[in-house]
Amino acid sequence: MSPSLQSTAAGPQGAPGLAPERPSAASGQVSDAPLLETRALTVRAAGRSLVDGLAWRVHAGERWCVIGRNGAGKSLVLRALAGLSVPERSGEVLWQGRAQQAWPVGAAAAVRALMPQQAQDRFALTVERTLALSEVVALAHVRRTDELMAELDIAGLAARRADQLSGGERQRVALAQCAVQGAALMLLDEPVSFQDPAHQQIVGRWLARAAPAGERAWVASAHDPSWIGRVATHVLALFGDGRWQAGPVDEILCTPVLEQTYGCAWRSVEGAWIPA
Amino acid sequence: MTDTRGMRVPVLPPASTHSGDPAVVRVALVALAAVLVAALALCLGSGGWDWQLIVTLRAPRVAAAAGVGSLLALAGLGLQVLLRNPLADPYVLGHSTGASVGALAALLLGAQLWIGAAAGALVAGLALLWLARPALAASDDASPRLILLGAMLASVFGAIATLMLVLVPDQRLRGAIFWMVGDLSGADASLWNLAGAAVFVAWLWARGRSIDRLMLGADAAWLLGEPVRRLRLELLVFASLAVGLAVATSGSIGFVGLVVAQGWRLAGVLRTRELAVLSTLSGAALLMGADLLARLVVAPMELPVGAVMALIGAPCFIWFLARGVK
Repeated sequence: MSPSLQSTAAGPQGAPGLAPERPSAASGQVSDAPLLETRALTVRAAGRSLVDGLAWRVHAGERWCVIGRNGAGKSLVLRALAGLSVPERSGEVLWQGRAQQAWPVGAAAAVRALMPQQAQDRFALTVERTLALSEVVALAHVRRTDELMAELDIAGLAARRADQLSGGERQRVALAQCAVQGAALMLLDEPVSFQDPAHQQIVGRWLARAAPAGERAWVASAHDPSWIGRVATHVLALFGDGRWQAGPVDEILCTPVLEQTYGCAWRSVEGAWIPA
Repeated sequence: MTDTRGMRVPVLPPASTHSGDPAVVRVALVALAAVLVAALALCLGSGGWDWQLIVTLRAPRVAAAAGVGSLLALAGLGLQVLLRNPLADPYVLGHSTGASVGALAALLLGAQLWIGAAAGALVAGLALLWLARPALAASDDASPRLILLGAMLASVFGAIATLMLVLVPDQRLRGAIFWMVGDLSGADASLWNLAGAAVFVAWLWARGRSIDRLMLGADAAWLLGEPVRRLRLELLVFASLAVGLAVATSGSIGFVGLVVAQGWRLAGVLRTRELAVLSTLSGAALLMGADLLARLVVAPMELPVGAVMALIGAPCFIWFLARGVK
C-alpha cells in the first residue's frame, strides 16, 4: 500500500502552526472528511507545551504510530484526541469533519474509541462481560467477539476477571475492548508495552489488518521503531517541547528524526532499529 | 493467521441474552428466604399467635422493616457504583447524619419527625450535589474527592446532631437517642418505603447496562457513549431519596447499606440488574430478621435494631471475608 496516497502533515522541521493544505486525492470513494483532523491543536501540562499547533489528518486506511520519549505527552494528546479532559488545550479536533464537541456523547462512541494505558477496575468484571458491555456498533466487518478473542489470543480468558489477568493479558483484553466498540477510529495508548515478543507479533499482525482502506484507522503510541516499521503506515513524532513532525513511516523513521525524538543515536540494521 | 494456533475455544454467545440459570436460582432462593423471614417475623413475638395482633401491630412493623432494609441496601449499591468504591454507604456521604439533624430539629420544634428527617437527608444530598458539581463532571479521580466531601459533610452534621442532643428536653432524650441508633418500634406501616424501593429497583433495572458500564470507569463509560454526568446525578438523587425515606421511618440504621450489595459482589454477582434485585430482597430479609431478634431476645423489652444487626452481622461478614471468598 503506497503511503504517498496520503498527504503528510509535516510542517518543515515540524514548525508549529504551518497547516498542510494538501488534501489527499481521494483514493477510491473514501468519505471526503478525514476520520480525525486537528487544527492548531495545542496541549500543555504543568506549564510545558507538549504539542504546539498540531495540524494533522488521519484518513481511513491509515495506521499511525505516535512516538516520543517518556513524558513527551503521547497519552495526553491521545486523551485530547478522544475528547477526554486534559489540563490545558486549545485548537480544534474534528472527527469525520465535525468538531468533537458537536458530537452527542452516544454518537461519538461510534466514531472514536480509546484504549487507555491503565484500565480502572476496582469492580472487576469478567472478560466476557467487559467485552459485551463495550460493544457499541454492531461489528459489521465480520469480526465476532469470539473471533477477535482468538485473534488476540485471549480466547481462553472469557470467564476470568480483569483483576486475575497478567499485565500483558489485560492489555490485550483492553485492545479487544477498544476493538469491539466498533468505532471507525481507534486511539490506542501503548497497545504492546507489556507484550512478550511473540505477542508483540500477534498484536502487530492484528493491528496491520485493523485499518482497512476506506473504513477505519488507528493511532497508537508505541516505542520500538522496528515494530512500528512493520505495523504502521504513518508516524507522528512528538519532540517533547511542542515541536512535532508527521508523515509516512519511511520519512519519519530515519536517523535524524529518531535522534531528535529520543535524544540518542540510532542505526538501522536490516530493517531493525537499534539505539546506540 | 493467528487462527492456526488452535486455541479457538467455543465462547458463550454475546451476553445480552444471558440471564442464565444461576442468577435466576439465586434470586429465587433469596426471595424464598425473604418470604420465610417475613412469615417468622409475623408469627413470632410477645403476645404469641393472635390474628388481631398480627394485622394491626406486627404486619406494619414487618413491612416497615422490609421497606427500610430494601431502601438502605439499594442506596448502598447505588452509592458504591457512584463512588466506584466498594466501601461507600449512606453514612459515608452524610445522608443519614443529615437526616438525623433534621429529625432532631423536628423533635425540638415539635414538628413531625419524618418531615424533618426527609428534609435533612435531602438537604445533605443537595449540599453534596452542590459541592460535588465539579467532581461529578470530572473523570475517574472524582470519587476520592466525593468521598472526602461526604465524610466532611457527615462530620459537620454529626457535630450538629450532638450539639442538638444537648438541647433536647430530658423527657424526649431517650426517644431521640433510640432514633439516632435506629429503631423500628415506632415505625408505622407506610407503604411508601416499599413503593420507593420498587421504583428504585425498576430504575436500576432500566439503567442496568449503563451502570455496568460506569463500573468500567467514568472515562470508559463516557467513551462508550454513556451520559456519565446525568447518570451520576440520577444515582445521587435516588440514593438520597432512598436514605431520606428510610431514615424518616426508622432512624439511622447502619450496616445494611454497606454490607448487602458488597456481600453479593464478593460472592461473584457483578451485574447491576441482578445486584439490584438481590440487594432489595436480602436487605429486606436482613432487617426483618434483625428486628425479629431485637423484639425477641429480651422479650417484653426491645433492643435497637441497628445495634442488634451490627452486633450479629459484622462478625458474620468478617468471617465471610476471612474465609477468602473472592
